[in-house]
Amino acid sequence: MEFLHNISLGFSVILSPENLLFCFVGVFIGTLIGVLPGIGPVGAMSLLLPATFKATPVSSIIMLAGIYYGAMYGGSTTSILVNIPGEAASVVTCLDGYQMARQGRAGPALGIAAFGSFIAGTLSVIGLMIVGPPLASIALRFGPPEYFSLMCLGLTILIYLASGSVIRALMMATFGIIIGCVGQDPETGSSRFVFGIPDLLDGIGLAPFVMGLFGISEVLLNIERSLQERSVFTTKIKGLLPNWQDWKDSIMPITRGSVLGFFLGILPGGGAIISSFTSYAIEKKISKHPEKFGKGAIEGVAGPEAANNSATGGAFVPLLTLGIPPNVVMALLLGALMIHGVTPGPLLIPKHPEIFWGVIASMYVGNAMLLVLNLPLIGMWVQVLKVPYKVLFPLILLFCLIGAYSINNSTFDVAVMLFFGVLGYLMRKYNFEGAPMVLAFVLGPMFENSLRQSLLLSDGSFLIFFTRPIAAGGMIATFLMLISCVIPFLRKRREAIPLEETT
Amino acid sequence: MVKIHHRTGSIFWIVIGVYVSIGAYRLGLGNFHQPGPGFIFFLAALFLTILSAIDLGSSFIGKPKVAVDKKEKPIWVGVRWQKVLLVLAGLSLYTYLFNYLGFLTATFLLMVFLFKAVEPTKWWISIVGSLTTILISYGIFELWLKVPFPQGFLGF
Repeated sequence: MEFLHNISLGFSVILSPENLLFCFVGVFIGTLIGVLPGIGPVGAMSLLLPATFKATPVSSIIMLAGIYYGAMYGGSTTSILVNIPGEAASVVTCLDGYQMARQGRAGPALGIAAFGSFIAGTLSVIGLMIVGPPLASIALRFGPPEYFSLMCLGLTILIYLASGSVIRALMMATFGIIIGCVGQDPETGSSRFVFGIPDLLDGIGLAPFVMGLFGISEVLLNIERSLQERSVFTTKIKGLLPNWQDWKDSIMPITRGSVLGFFLGILPGGGAIISSFTSYAIEKKISKHPEKFGKGAIEGVAGPEAANNSATGGAFVPLLTLGIPPNVVMALLLGALMIHGVTPGPLLIPKHPEIFWGVIASMYVGNAMLLVLNLPLIGMWVQVLKVPYKVLFPLILLFCLIGAYSINNSTFDVAVMLFFGVLGYLMRKYNFEGAPMVLAFVLGPMFENSLRQSLLLSDGSFLIFFTRPIAAGGMIATFLMLISCVIPFLRKRREAIPLEETT
Repeated sequence: MVKIHHRTGSIFWIVIGVYVSIGAYRLGLGNFHQPGPGFIFFLAALFLTILSAIDLGSSFIGKPKVAVDKKEKPIWVGVRWQKVLLVLAGLSLYTYLFNYLGFLTATFLLMVFLFKAVEPTKWWISIVGSLTTILISYGIFELWLKVPFPQGFLGF
């Protein structure tokens, strides 16, 4: 009964005209940036973060979440039609999706990707409803040491799964903590690393930081290469509805991908990319015709597309129940909620049920909107693909500039964004990853507070992290994971995992 | 060449780590019973310095861990870094002159510059594109979202 009450509360939130509009704008922009190579969900969400400041917290989070799962939908379109993944989670869709398009089956490939995503998205929302509330009630018993160890574990898993060197990912996470803590000390009020700039007393803004690190740096990287036109698959796309055989071949991969994606999405550092690669590997392994994979097998599209969408729902579990973002996209959502004065965590459901259940209901509605956007309007997205980058990049830059300015109506934020744009550009050139830095930046103040509070509680003893069971479990897992990076056998296993590179 | 880039990156972060460590020490570290304002900075900066030193050391011992596509490829060769500098100069100038020139004028000039600077674009496309863009962005941000843009010395 309570469940019905909660879900009806969620639908009453999303079905208000304002929230429907925000949901539509979110999934529309998400599809758009999923289609457009060169800007990923993180870049787009950071770009639009300032635009949500004037909206209510629930509207903001509905729109930003819509961008995230919308991008997962849209990314498949470019993978299938152009063999260029719109975002990293769709890389694996290229393998069979593009081959299907070449064989004149672009329609069923796009169709099964959209239906698979819809089914998986819906299943993951159901999973979130089931797992979320009990987990939140357990988390109510957590204190600073538990939070500290969980944050350590989250950061370590993200670092473990980062592409490239673990040491470099750790370095970036460490630097993220440093810049995340810039500003006034929460206990003594003394200013820290503000260089006499009053704007820095409140710390470095999340939006200019992320817009610079992902948005500006992405543009700079693109323009240093020759801006070549993309060749779009020009054959007329017909028959978007998959036939009976297609459904028969796809339904189990979709189901498996949904379950797998949801659970991998919950894990810190897991998420859409790993889910899609794992799903592909599993489908190929258990298929009776593995030789068809890579040559246009519909299972190779259905499974990964379902998995990457389901992972988006799973990723909300730790954010909304523990207040710990499992990946950089969720870190942005955490930042957005905190800007609105809402702290995600175990108290979110009792204190702000309209946000938790509203977001869940919005994902149902958003998934339905995406189905409508992606199937009948596929022709429009194909046209979008033809927009040359030389026209696109000034628009991206302008939105970054205006977005950064509009936060505080100050050019200081624009300068901060440009600074981190240059830093992000150089980091990518020198093979340093931005994702661990952003997650650590967002977690930085919480990390510092929980560490200081834990030390105060324990009278200065670090043993507090090992004498409480949950905290000890988190710390031991963290150390084991870090140690595994230096053991040659385990290091090779890690390098075989599809690597996370979020843009 | 790749190793030189690898080392440059490591050295940069060592410098940052040492700088932050010194700054944090000056802020006051406190003690484990009562951590001071510089405590977390010092711990993090120390960790950053040690990790950067290990990263630097690894470039002397083994092969640097670089992405597959960048293997053996010098990062500043064969790319149009001049275009990047040009765009950055334009963006910096825009930020500097934004309040003085006002949103409409500064943004129009920036957009024309961006359309023309990186790839050759016809003048009329640049001008029409810039005008359309600033009108749409003005409508969305100033009129709809009520972002108060500066008017500049020209009064618009």
